[in-house]
Amino acid sequence: MRSHRFYTPWLLMLPALIWLALFSVWPAVNTITLSFTNVHQLTGGHFIGLKNYWLLWHDPHIRDAVVNTIIFMVVCVPLLTVLPLLLALLVQRQIPGIAFFRTAFYFPVIASAVTVALIWKWLLDDRGLINNLAQSLGFLHKTIPFLTDRWLLLLSAVALTVWKGLGYYMVLYMSALGSVRRDLHEAAAVDGAGSVRRFWSVTVPGVRGTMILISVLIAVNAMRVFTELYILGGRTGGVGGQDVSIVMLVQQAASGSDGRLGYASAISVFLFFLTAIPLLFLTRLNKHAQEES
Amino acid sequence: MRRTTAVSAIAVAATLLTAGCGVGSKASTKDADRTVATTAALSGSITFQTWSLKNDKFTPYFTKLIADFKAAHPGTDVNWIDQPGDGYPTKVTSQVATGSLPDVINLPPDIAHAVAKTGNLLDLRKNVPTLDTDWVKSGLNAYSYQDIDKAGSNFGFPWYLGTDVSYWNKALMAKDGLDATKPPKTFDELVAQAKTMHDNSGGKDYLMSRAPGLSDIANTGTKLLSDDGTKFAFNTDPAAAMLDKYTQAYKAGYLPSNVLDNAYEGNSALFSKQQVAWTTGGGNLITSLKQDNPSLAENVLPSPALDTAPLYVQGLSVASRSKNLPLALAFAEFVTNNENQVAFIKLAPGFLPGSAASADDPEYSKSDGTPQGDASVIAYKDLTTAVNFTPPIWTDAMNTVLNQEIAKAMTGKESAKQALDNTVNQANALLSQ
Repeated sequence: MRSHRFYTPWLLMLPALIWLALFSVWPAVNTITLSFTNVHQLTGGHFIGLKNYWLLWHDPHIRDAVVNTIIFMVVCVPLLTVLPLLLALLVQRQIPGIAFFRTAFYFPVIASAVTVALIWKWLLDDRGLINNLAQSLGFLHKTIPFLTDRWLLLLSAVALTVWKGLGYYMVLYMSALGSVRRDLHEAAAVDGAGSVRRFWSVTVPGVRGTMILISVLIAVNAMRVFTELYILGGRTGGVGGQDVSIVMLVQQAASGSDGRLGYASAISVFLFFLTAIPLLFLTRLNKHAQEES
Repeated sequence: MRRTTAVSAIAVAATLLTAGCGVGSKASTKDADRTVATTAALSGSITFQTWSLKNDKFTPYFTKLIADFKAAHPGTDVNWIDQPGDGYPTKVTSQVATGSLPDVINLPPDIAHAVAKTGNLLDLRKNVPTLDTDWVKSGLNAYSYQDIDKAGSNFGFPWYLGTDVSYWNKALMAKDGLDATKPPKTFDELVAQAKTMHDNSGGKDYLMSRAPGLSDIANTGTKLLSDDGTKFAFNTDPAAAMLDKYTQAYKAGYLPSNVLDNAYEGNSALFSKQQVAWTTGGGNLITSLKQDNPSLAENVLPSPALDTAPLYVQGLSVASRSKNLPLALAFAEFVTNNENQVAFIKLAPGFLPGSAASADDPEYSKSDGTPQGDASVIAYKDLTTAVNFTPPIWTDAMNTVLNQEIAKAMTGKESAKQALDNTVNQANALLSQ
């Protein structure tokens, strides 16, 4: 057998390495560097040590942003981990017309952000579909302030995220469910296990790896929440800015010709370390589950 | 040893990164002070950038303008580019950062201020002796910045000026017992008529439909800046009283409940949908309505803006690092001279030229008797007293803070005074960052 030259694997990896260095490593290093400066969009800047982090600590909006982001993540992770699995179990059955439902559940994934924004604002506005319908049917006398109340807006953003993400994670689960051995289900059924017992004892262990992967993906995406809150709350982050997320603070700090890139970078670095916490937790959970099994 | 070398390499790399991390333009503030030799014959080419003006209405004007200039100066060329309306500040920012700012560029005062701070705009005061006599003072003031340390410096030729006119839906007002020929003239009268409309329509129709902003604060007689122009100081009692009145009106239901949230479409859009009976807009709003909403256009009456009208200015600036400064300066002066401005404004009724000679032109004070004609005359008359309320040091981030704090006050989460105190404190903190 002919041996390869030592650099052949490196050559094969070179395009990917260049891509990684240019678009991942360099921006990350530059962000950390900028976070110690007072660089502005147009006027440049200089090294200021830890002042941006001191400003971040005293930022009147950072507390709300952290609370909103963590609540958003804590609610989204279980919902988007469990609901798509149940949906996948439902649509994997071979019954007439099921293809229509698979497509319908996946449709929100491909809907554009602009369309989603319009639909949800029409639904949730004071004069929107939900309030109008509830009032005309006599269920409500006052409108529900979906877009003005801090917690209702946050929950609405969670609902939007779950609605838009269900189809995507459902497809991932459908793929994972295909690899769960059918004979295990049959053996469990012969032993007298009902559908709930088979779900917990056969299906869930069979897709545990996918569940952990999905949880990690959702946790990371939830920590970076921006679009959903921006769609519903606008650029101020809801009424009075009480529904800002950490990424919205980054956007607010960096935008405009006076954008404070140094400060925005400091918030990004803070978000990076904050995101690492749930990731470490989920990884540990996975390791623990593997050891137990 | 290898470990020490690696640590040293990382330290050097970090130092280089820190030293070279500047994102801003490399122009020196001295570039702004360059003087341009105007005696030499003009030659070569320049780039001229406008903002959302390349369309069926204005393209023939600019094509002829450039052709006239080239005919007067053989051997020269002007490359006209136009940027779309959305994201213009971002586009200009990237042009500054990459050193590709066009030679002559259409900039409103706030973007010009940000660019001038980097030294990328030519100080016109040093190069145009007739600046004060040939262009209107209010327009010139908008391009002079207290915080840029050059006494009397100026960074833009006033090009066209606009202001707000009040527009009333007379049918909607009549339905609710109001007379559009006797519209409110002050904020207090506005609130009183908004109450009448609310009460008579059972809360279905609205007169007021926007939250207050910086101009409302200034209209209480409050000075936005401290005397030396370095800090914000608009947390005054009159400003708090005005915000209190808005809060009470909002709580009483005189404004649509969604004016504070993201479902708010803007008072102009609500006026077009005939959901509110009052909006403010440029002097040519009725002409626009005739195309978009002809039935409404017939029902609209104009009146002067409440209190002091705001001044909106567009200007032409010259890039200080232009490779052909004589040609760039000559072209900017040519575009903004009286003759060319008057021809330009004929295409945009409701606006006024930024040239001093046009200020006394009787043409602008004659109405043809139509509501649109009346609106144009109102805009013309108000422009003599209109004020550009927004200080150049006021940024997007500060505006976000103001909107957030006003929303908190109007929803009762804090008092009006507390909201203004918070805004001023946060805006001043942003100034020092």
